[in-house]
Amino acid sequence: MNIYIYDDYLNKPKYNRILSRVEIRLTDLSLNGKIIRLGAIRNVSDVIQNEIKNGAKTIVAVGNNQTVSKVIGAIIDNELYGFFQKNVLFSIIPIGEDNSIADSLGIKASEEACNILLARRVKKIDIGLINNYYFLNKVSLPSAGAVLEFKDGFSLSTDQKGVIEIFNLRSATNDDKRLKVNPIDGLLDIYIKTGKNIKDLTRLTADSLKISTASNELLVDGTLNLSAPANIGIVRGKLNVVVGRDRSFD
Amino acid sequence: MKPEKFKDAETIIGSSVTVKGDFHGTGNIIIEGSLEGSLKTDADVYIGEKAQVVANIEAENATINGQINGTIKISQYLALGSTAKINGDVNFQELSVSRGALINGRLSSHGAARNKKNNSTDKKEVLPEEE
Repeated sequence: MNIYIYDDYLNKPKYNRILSRVEIRLTDLSLNGKIIRLGAIRNVSDVIQNEIKNGAKTIVAVGNNQTVSKVIGAIIDNELYGFFQKNVLFSIIPIGEDNSIADSLGIKASEEACNILLARRVKKIDIGLINNYYFLNKVSLPSAGAVLEFKDGFSLSTDQKGVIEIFNLRSATNDDKRLKVNPIDGLLDIYIKTGKNIKDLTRLTADSLKISTASNELLVDGTLNLSAPANIGIVRGKLNVVVGRDRSFD
Repeated sequence: MKPEKFKDAETIIGSSVTVKGDFHGTGNIIIEGSLEGSLKTDADVYIGEKAQVVANIEAENATINGQINGTIKISQYLALGSTAKINGDVNFQELSVSRGALINGRLSSHGAARNKKNNSTDKKEVLPEEE
């Protein structure tokens, strides 16, 4: 069974038309399922846990990057998820603005997302973890004064103004296409950009690190603000996602 | 100029970044910034012209254009560019030195040692370069 999780903001009248088109398309493709509206429930994790227990095969976030963050956290935190992990799939139907994560997975438009869901092209991707929060895309912070400590016994620091980006998955729309990011290698791709020129770039990979910074501005998946210090890690192959052909990784 | 093989280096330390500690990797490494500690990889290392390295270095091949304070141990080929400044002992199999490179330390070739062992009449040795 497919479970469609609709974000709160889709209640606005301006989304009625696009939602109707999506629902018609899903019906045409025999992909109907149960609709859960986030605005109507308090504990997303409990609801998803029940659905997985009752045999849900695909959980679909209908909304934007924020919707994805909420649903991913609820799926992964689910105690049953580990047991059913091989069977439960995750997908996205992007609606409206701020859908860079769907774009990275090769899902560019709402109705196209229905066809991608039918095609069932599945990739097992890594999930980033910062403190107790999961992320799909990246953690970013100002570079000046930041220190990155690695378990192998070394640290990186810079006094120069710029940005540090710690990627799991590169956004196809918001992130520089020249950056190499692999969400299926069990490693975070870390970039420090301090100059205007991409040649003045630091790049390395690691499976975990600790961030300290005086600025206290950590932005997770472009939506969640956290304070430093923070521990960042990666959970390899944690999520089975349905992807499109035009995804940002192989 | 960087050799072509560094185009897709796994690790790049940019000019504004300082690394402290034991920095060990598995792929090609480019250092354009500062490094204090040690640097080790089973692949190749490129040290840029403005790099400041206070570390012992171990790698398969290396191209050095910056300043190194520490011992360098290269299992295959070491190239010292015209802006290289080395304060420390250097061990390699094959070496090329561009005019202008400075070396304060002992040079030894494990390739020469092996040749010497295989052929006792071979008298070739790599001697320290005078400044």
